[in-house]
Order: sequence, then structure tokens, then C-alpha cells
Amino acid sequence: MFLRRLRLYGPLALYGVFLLLPFYWMLLTTFKPDAELLNTSNPFLIFHVTVEHITDLLTQTSYLQWFANTLFVSVASTVVSVFISYITAYAIIRLRFPGSEVVSTAIFLAYIVPPAILFIPLATIIIQLHWFDKLWALIPIYATFLVPFCTWLLIGFLKNIPRELEEAARVDGASNFAIIWRIIFPVAVPGLISAAIFSFTLSWNEYLYALVYMSSSTNKTVSVGMITELIRGDRFQWGQLMAGALIGILPAVLVYFFFVEYYVAGVSGSVKE
Amino acid sequence: MTGRPQILARLDSPRVLGYVLIAPAAVLLLGLLAYPLVLGVWLSMTSATLGNAGEFVGLKNYATILDDPIFRGAAAFSVLYTVCAEIGKLTLGLALALILNQRFRGYRAARSLMLLPWVAPTVLSALAWLWLLDPQFSALSWLLIKLHLIHDNVDFLGHAWPARFSLIAVNIWRGLPYFAIGYLAGLQGISKDLYEAAAIDGATGWQAFRRITWPLLAPITTILVAFSSIFTLTDFQLIWTMTRGGPTDSTQVFTTLAYQRAITGGQLGEGAAIAVAPIVFMIVLAVIVVRSVRER
Amino acid sequence: MKHPDRREFLQSSAAGIGAAALAGSFPALASAAEASPFKPEKGAELQLLRWKGFVAKDDEIWAQNTAKFEKATGIKVKIDSLSWPDVTPKAALAAQVGSGPDIIMGWNDDPFVYPDKLVDMTDLAEHIGKAHGGYFDLAHAYCYDGEVKRWVSQPIGVTGNALVYRKSWAKDAGFAEFPKDFDGMLKLARGLKKAGHPCGFSLGHAVGDANGWTHWVLWGFGGKQANPDNTIAINSAETGHALDYAKQLYETMIAGVSGWLDPNNNQAFLAGQCGLTMNGISIWASAKENPQLFPDTANVIPPYGPSKQHTIFNNFTSAFIFKYSKYPNAAKEYLRFMLDTPQADPWVTGMVGYVTPALKGYADLPVWTSNPNITPYRDTMAASKFDGFNGKPGKAAAQALDEFVIVDMFADVCVNNMAVKDSIAKAEKRLTTIYKR
Repeated sequence: MFLRRLRLYGPLALYGVFLLLPFYWMLLTTFKPDAELLNTSNPFLIFHVTVEHITDLLTQTSYLQWFANTLFVSVASTVVSVFISYITAYAIIRLRFPGSEVVSTAIFLAYIVPPAILFIPLATIIIQLHWFDKLWALIPIYATFLVPFCTWLLIGFLKNIPRELEEAARVDGASNFAIIWRIIFPVAVPGLISAAIFSFTLSWNEYLYALVYMSSSTNKTVSVGMITELIRGDRFQWGQLMAGALIGILPAVLVYFFFVEYYVAGVSGSVKE
Repeated sequence: MTGRPQILARLDSPRVLGYVLIAPAAVLLLGLLAYPLVLGVWLSMTSATLGNAGEFVGLKNYATILDDPIFRGAAAFSVLYTVCAEIGKLTLGLALALILNQRFRGYRAARSLMLLPWVAPTVLSALAWLWLLDPQFSALSWLLIKLHLIHDNVDFLGHAWPARFSLIAVNIWRGLPYFAIGYLAGLQGISKDLYEAAAIDGATGWQAFRRITWPLLAPITTILVAFSSIFTLTDFQLIWTMTRGGPTDSTQVFTTLAYQRAITGGQLGEGAAIAVAPIVFMIVLAVIVVRSVRER
Repeated sequence: MKHPDRREFLQSSAAGIGAAALAGSFPALASAAEASPFKPEKGAELQLLRWKGFVAKDDEIWAQNTAKFEKATGIKVKIDSLSWPDVTPKAALAAQVGSGPDIIMGWNDDPFVYPDKLVDMTDLAEHIGKAHGGYFDLAHAYCYDGEVKRWVSQPIGVTGNALVYRKSWAKDAGFAEFPKDFDGMLKLARGLKKAGHPCGFSLGHAVGDANGWTHWVLWGFGGKQANPDNTIAINSAETGHALDYAKQLYETMIAGVSGWLDPNNNQAFLAGQCGLTMNGISIWASAKENPQLFPDTANVIPPYGPSKQHTIFNNFTSAFIFKYSKYPNAAKEYLRFMLDTPQADPWVTGMVGYVTPALKGYADLPVWTSNPNITPYRDTMAASKFDGFNGKPGKAAAQALDEFVIVDMFADVCVNNMAVKDSIAKAEKRLTTIYKR
């Protein structure tokens, strides 16, 4: 019995250390005074706990604004992307219209473009549309990399929903609109939640587009604001950076804690044979 | 049904409805992805520099970069980085999924905590790692020295090979939760009956894994690896934050070199060519994904 | 140039600025005081992109001065700041898409990468230069286009580089006074290493620090990147000597410098692990927080090599205005105002001399002599050369700097144990490709 426990908890502990060490480090650095950061007898302990980094971060920088911006963009991108992905996936997999294969392939291919260079030609377009420095413009921009994956996920998921469901509904005289939203949509919920979680995560973490297309301090997201305003020339404000990082992870952690089962079920549903 | 407006009746046709439904995605992806991509490819065939449109030069930029040892090095490291990281993420992710697939006390907390590396913004995690791998202040070095395993601080990022492997390790750290969760999903689709039958036949755990688990996970393996490879091959923020492509360009990858040449160096045409280069690899990957999805 | 009576000057110029700004709309208020030649457009609004100050006071005082300008002229100025290496790409993007901030405070060769997108600054630069004693030569190199004979950018200054070291440790190594030449410095470095307080100079892709010291050593031996006609001149005996010297210096350095980015030397010095490094004034300024460290920390102008002249490399910052700006005159007036004594004096003083102004007049500000550790930063500008020396500033020099060609040449010899001639050949090949365009 003990051996079994060891075989489970042993490796689990190793993984835990490997995966969580940097977060423990973030926690330490958040509450450690600067002097101790550079000179200490044991970097894994804190000798004089301080909350000044957190208070400074929240009062002296626009962190709360950045947090609100990131939350807004992430939630909105998620809603928009999941909506578009759902109707697109539905069209491709349930309607079987001519050209659906082509569209499906095209959507996968949309994935192979590196944002690290796309952002220059894309910038010209953003400027022409007068979307530069408008926070909401990030929503359609993020959708460009969220929609392909979510569509794939939902295609896989919707594929496994039996056709009988629709046929029965049609026999009952339901319109297409009703089928899409009242019949299929509820069944697709686990897949939709998966897609939503994935979208939220990627939006929350995005850096390059937010850096290039947003300019005013009031339009910055958490990652961008912290890198551009908490790194002063050749001095990193480690305490505030790590405090901001920790606080910045919280929403995603909460989402995952409550919805991870759905995420797993969603992905599982989409790859079932 | 009678009296419904003509237009709604039209929407009953699968064809029309189909086009209407994919219209938003089409507009979005054509306008904000395909068009800039074409623009980028066009750019790679010009001698454009910042502020100057340049002229069409055909494949000259590609010839130039193939002749450039820095580009060849970046291409080689991009591939090495991707291959090593994917292997690492796959094996470690799968092993973790196997562990998390069991019901033990706190398994729900474990599942969500294990996701943290993937969930945290890369830029900020990279900074935390930068500090953990610092040549003077690394807590890891401190620990290893305290355990009497080494004498001096490890120079993680100061020389070519240690830097390369450090970056691969951080990429594995960041990406393995993605594989773990994906595999967890896949594992849940495997019926327990198969394992019971195998146990009755006297198969060991390892044999059960090789004959049942691994083959049944093949489809999700393909998907996970294909998507993850695309991200890894075009990784930018992690490497840029930790080494900026140094020391002496030993950790340059496609995207960091392209960014450096195009933006900070002003050579747009050449930078675009460097950015387009990995697309060849990615087309191969994408074809694999499409084929495997079609087969089902 | 000495200002006879500071207070008088301040009052008259303040009145002059206010008057000049309003003169356009209220001719009656135009006073007899010196009117600025730059008449802002009606309804002007400006957007400035600058780099985030290395010291907090920089941003603070700049913002205060800007508020003064807004009050005096009614022109709103929005300031966006970015981490300093991120300004260059943002500026490049603005040049590329033809839209963005009106004024950008950029670095080094930036204005020469897209000179035809920039407003002619000749009138502004000459006006300011005349008012404040002219410019140091370095300003001409970075802001004046000799071919078309015009100023493309308004010089502001450099974030000066000097050596910062621990006095007591230097004394223990036998140097009560800091050595004046490279040989002395090597001896000091060896002494420091023996005592367990090694020096440290970045050989990684640290945009500021790595370029700083490698260029200083290269030029100190008489080596250079290019000739005035932009042919490559790196392959020379002098370059070889510089590399040999650097290799010996590397052997005395603290571990890990080959991976150092810009903040590493600050941290190592402030933690008491490193005894000597090259940096802006930020290390000394940060040391103030540590009462044991601070009195022992000193700044000194870097020694010279066999070329017998000071050959420092500093990052030069200048302000340029894009042609797409709707309010170029307002922009010029803003710059004139900010660089004028009533504003520039508190700015330079408040940030403890972090930026050494390009205007000779400001070399007389009392801040430079208020503390002997600040004085070396005053002299750093006069002692500098420009990147790509001795070729022409422009796209090629900018690209070579950005790709760390010189830094990697040094790193290949020191860290990767490449033979000196191979490393030079590699750098030469890369430079030839870059300059060929």
C-alpha cells in the first residue's frame, strides 16, 4: 500500500517541484525586500517580509488599469472567437455544403503564420482601418489566431454528435436556427467551454500585438505594461514585476480550477474515434 | 411555415446557410491573416527596407539568407529546439497525464496547479526563469552548491550549449501541461474494459501501455504534436526575453532573427524572407494534421 | 558660456516663451523679449514617444516641464514612454506605416535609417545650438547629414558611460588612484580577481553595456569598423591588439558575463560581487540605498589605450519629427522649450546627470561639480566616438550595431576561444554584407 502511494506521490511531487518552482520564486520575490534579493544567506526564505512591492505596484503604476484592459480583451475575444468558431464548425461539419473541405483545410493553414513577422504588414492594415491604439481592436486581431484552433476543436466535437438528433428535430419542424442554437448548442457545451478556456488563456498571455498596436499607457495589457514600465533602463523592479505576475495569473487559475474538468471533457469529446 | 419572409426561407438551404455562417470567419481570416500573409510573402521578394518600398527582386533574399551562416545556424537551432522540446513535452506530459488520470486525494487541485506554467504569461515566466538561472544569483545554483553537487554557480545562459538546453528546458516546462491535459482527455476516452481484459491475459503494466494505451492515443498525439510544433518552431518571446538570441547568436531562431533583421536592422525584405522560411516546415506539419483528421 | 544672471535669464526667457507661443493668436501680447521663431499651428496637439527614464526623476521632471509648456502655450502634449531598446522598433514602425507619434526621442542612427521621412530640423538645431554654446562633435555625427547639409534630428544628449568601481578594493589591489591607461586597468583587474572581487563587462547581447565596453577597447587601440567612404576597415593589426587585450581582461572577469544582459552588471555590483564595471550613472545612484556600499563606490572616466585618446561609446539620444505630423512647428517649439535652460537645468540636475546634454552650454551646470562622482559623466560626451566609426552614420552602421557584430567579434575570441584572425574575418564578412546594401 505504501509502495503504491510512493509510486503515485513520488513522481507527482517531482513534477510539482519542477512545474511550480518558478511560481514559488515569484511568491518569494514579491514579498522579499530588494536588499535581500541581492544579498541573502538563503534565497528560498524571506527574512523580512514586505508588502511594499504589492502596494507600490497597485498605487504607483497603472497596473489595475492594465488588469482591467486585459480582462476586457480576453473575455471579449473569447466570446467573439467561440461564437465565430461554433457557427463555422457547425457549417463545415453539419451542413456539408460544397467547398466545406476547402474551407476546413484553409482554416488549419491559417495557423502557420508567425505573429512575430505578420505584425508589420498587419500594422499597415490596422492603421488604414484607424484601429491603432484602440483597445477593442485587439479583439478581432486575437480572433485571427483563436478561431482556427477553436474551429478545429469544435469540428472534432460536433462530429461526434449523432445525426439522429438533428433529423428528429427536423421531423418535428424545427428551423435551422433552432437546431443550431437550441438542439446542438447545449450538447456542444463541453467543447465550447474547452474552446473558451483555451481562447481566454491565449488572449491573456498575448504580448507582441498588444505591444505594437497599443500605444497609450491606458491601453496597455498586463504583460505589455509591466515589461515597458517596470523595467527602467538597466534596472529590473523585480519585486513589482513578480507581484504583477502573480496577480496576473489569478484569473486564469480561477478559471482553470473550476473548469478544468470541462476542458478535459471537451478535448476528449473532440478526439473520440 | 407559410408567410415566412423569403430571405429566411432561403436560409433553409444548407448551401446558403453554410456560406452565411462561415462568412464572419472568412472575412476575419482573409482580411487580417491571409492578406497580411500575402503582403509578407510579397515583402520577402522585394528589397524593402524600413521606410522604403524597394523593388521586386524575386528570390534574391532567399539566396542571401541561405548563404548566411547566422541564418543557417538559426534554422538548425530552430529545428533542434522544436524536436527536443516536443519529445520532452510529449514524454513528460504523457507521464503526468497517466499519473493525473488516477483518483487520489487532491487530484482536482493537482490538475489545475499543474497547468500553471501554460497559463501564466510567457513574458513574465521567462523573467522569473531569467532570475532563477542568473549567473550570480541563481537559487538553483545555490541549491546545488548546498547539496555539494557542484562548486561554482552554473553558467546557464552564458555559453552556447548550456543556453540552448536551458531554453529547451524552459520551453518544456511551459508546454508540458498542454500535453498533459490533452493526453488526460485522450486517456478518458479509453475504455477500462480493455485494461481489465489485458490484466486477465496476464499483461504487465508496460505491455498494457504499449499495446493499448499508446496506439489508442495516436490520434491525439498527432494533433498535440502538430499544433505544439507550430508554436514552438515560431517561438519568440521566451528566447528574446532570456537571451535575445545570444550568446554570439547561438540561440537565434527564425523569429528572433527575422525580428532583429527586419525591425531593429531595418531590412524588411530579408526579415520577411527569414519569417517565411519556417512556413515550409509548417505546411508539412499542417498537411499531416489535415490528413489525420480526414482519416477519421 | 556663462549665464550672467541666472534669475534674470530665467524670467526673460519664460516671458519670451509665453509671448512667442501666444503671439500667433494675440499679437497685442507679443513683447519686446526674444520671440521664438517657431510659431505653433492653431489647435495643435502633440504626441511624444520617449524612452522610459533610467532614473525616476528623469520622467518626473520631464513631465513637469511638459506641464509648464502646456500651461504656457495651451498645447496638449501626450507622453508615451517605452523601455529604451523598444523605442527604435516603434519608431521604425511609425516610419513604415506613415503614422504615429509626432516626436520621437530615439537612439543613435535612428534618424539616418529613414531620413526622408523626417522634418528638416536645421532651423531648430541651429537656433538651439546658438543659444547654448554649440554642440559637441558627437551631435553632428548623429544628427547632421553632411551629404544634404541639413540636420535631421535635434541632438539631446547621451546616457553616459563611465567606469564604476569600489575604491577600497582598488586600493587593496595597489591603486589608490584609478589607472589612466589600459595597461594599468589590466593590472587592476588582475588584482581585483586575486582578491575575489572580479570585474565584469558584458559579452552577451546587452544593448547598452556590451556595446559600450567593446567599442571603447576597439577604438582605444586604434581599431575601427569602417572608413569615411564606408569601406570596411575592421581587418587591421589594431583590431587584433584590441582583441588580445580583451581576452586577457576576460580572464579576470566574474563568471557568466557572456550571458549578461543590461541589468546584470548593476545587480552584480550592487550585491558586492563585482568590483569594477562600465555603466551609466544608475549604479552609483542606486548604491545610495546601501549605506555601506555607497561611500566606497566611485565613478571615473575610462582610461585610454595606445591611441592616447579617450574613446568612449555612449548611446546618443535625439529627437526627430516625422513629416506626417500635422504640427511640426508646435513640435519644434516644444523641443526648443524643453531644451531651454529653465527646463533643461532642473531636468539634468534632477536626474543627477543621467543624460549628458549635447549642448556645450550645459556642461557648466553646477550639478556636474556637485559631486566628484558625477563629473566623469560630464566629460563622457567630449570623449566619445560614434558607432560605425569611422564610417558614415546610417542604415549600415545601425544594422551592424543592432546585430552585435563588434560584440560578437569580442565574444568569439574571449568566450568561444576563436582565433583572433578568424574572429576578425567573420566580423569583416558580416560587415561587408551589411555595408554592401
